[in-house]
Amino acid sequence: MTANRYLQTLNVITALLMIAATALVFLYAPTESSMGQVQRIFYFHVPSGWGAGLAFLTTLVAGLGYLRTRQPFWDRLGLASVEVGLTLALMNVASGAAWGCVAWNSCWNWDPRLVTASIACLAYVAYLMLRAGIADPERRARFAAVYGIIAFISVPITYYSIQLARSIHPLMFGPNNPNAEGDSSLTPRMLQTFFFCLFTFTVLFVDLMWNRMRLERLTERVEQLKAKWLSA
Amino acid sequence: MVLLQEAPPDTLVYMLVGYAVFFGLPLLFILSLWWRQRNLEKDVEVLDELRKEKR
Repeated sequence: MTANRYLQTLNVITALLMIAATALVFLYAPTESSMGQVQRIFYFHVPSGWGAGLAFLTTLVAGLGYLRTRQPFWDRLGLASVEVGLTLALMNVASGAAWGCVAWNSCWNWDPRLVTASIACLAYVAYLMLRAGIADPERRARFAAVYGIIAFISVPITYYSIQLARSIHPLMFGPNNPNAEGDSSLTPRMLQTFFFCLFTFTVLFVDLMWNRMRLERLTERVEQLKAKWLSA
Repeated sequence: MVLLQEAPPDTLVYMLVGYAVFFGLPLLFILSLWWRQRNLEKDVEVLDELRKEKR
């Protein structure tokens, strides 16, 4: 089985998992009594944040890998993970705003979680801008690696912001801040749906990464062909 | 007791907005991958033709 066939199989599995997760969210999980249908956003909101965290962790590993080995593979992995991470992080922030419109009666407020998550998104948008501004590939890869490592600081800050600062954002796992105002309690069916969605988004992250890396390999091939043609 | 319980509020529109985001953003990302791949494949074709012409 070639790598392409493996990727096609993973694409199909991911699509089936997404369908199954959507079915669980709408047909299996009960409707929450105080918020109604909008609570169903939670099942994809948290997993998309999880996926973004995985992607940005990959950027950190790729940055360290590049600085250690100077192999272009790590640079390409870093770029791919930032693009995938930003897609998932924007899903997380935008869906959170839709939920906040109902739960907090405002789509945006200056809660520490919202602010830190938005800063994290902007930090990784800046990663792409930084890359676009440097022409020399070696220099671009080195700067991007260092920036990717530093930008990762925004991820744990975002995660722990609701435990460290006074927040109205619900806390799913970990010790609660005594000053926190948000809380959540899930029924067994809700928890089963949630963990299935978490697994689905982990697979989605791997699938998007694989597809994005395949594009990077094609980009590399085009660059090689161009270099060959110019030198001939 | 059941009669005294309030029905859940109607928040369907906000949920639909949320799920439009969940499916819309990855779809846009996948479309951008497809579009970039198509352009790169065209580049490969052009470069191959140029190489053949040069020979």
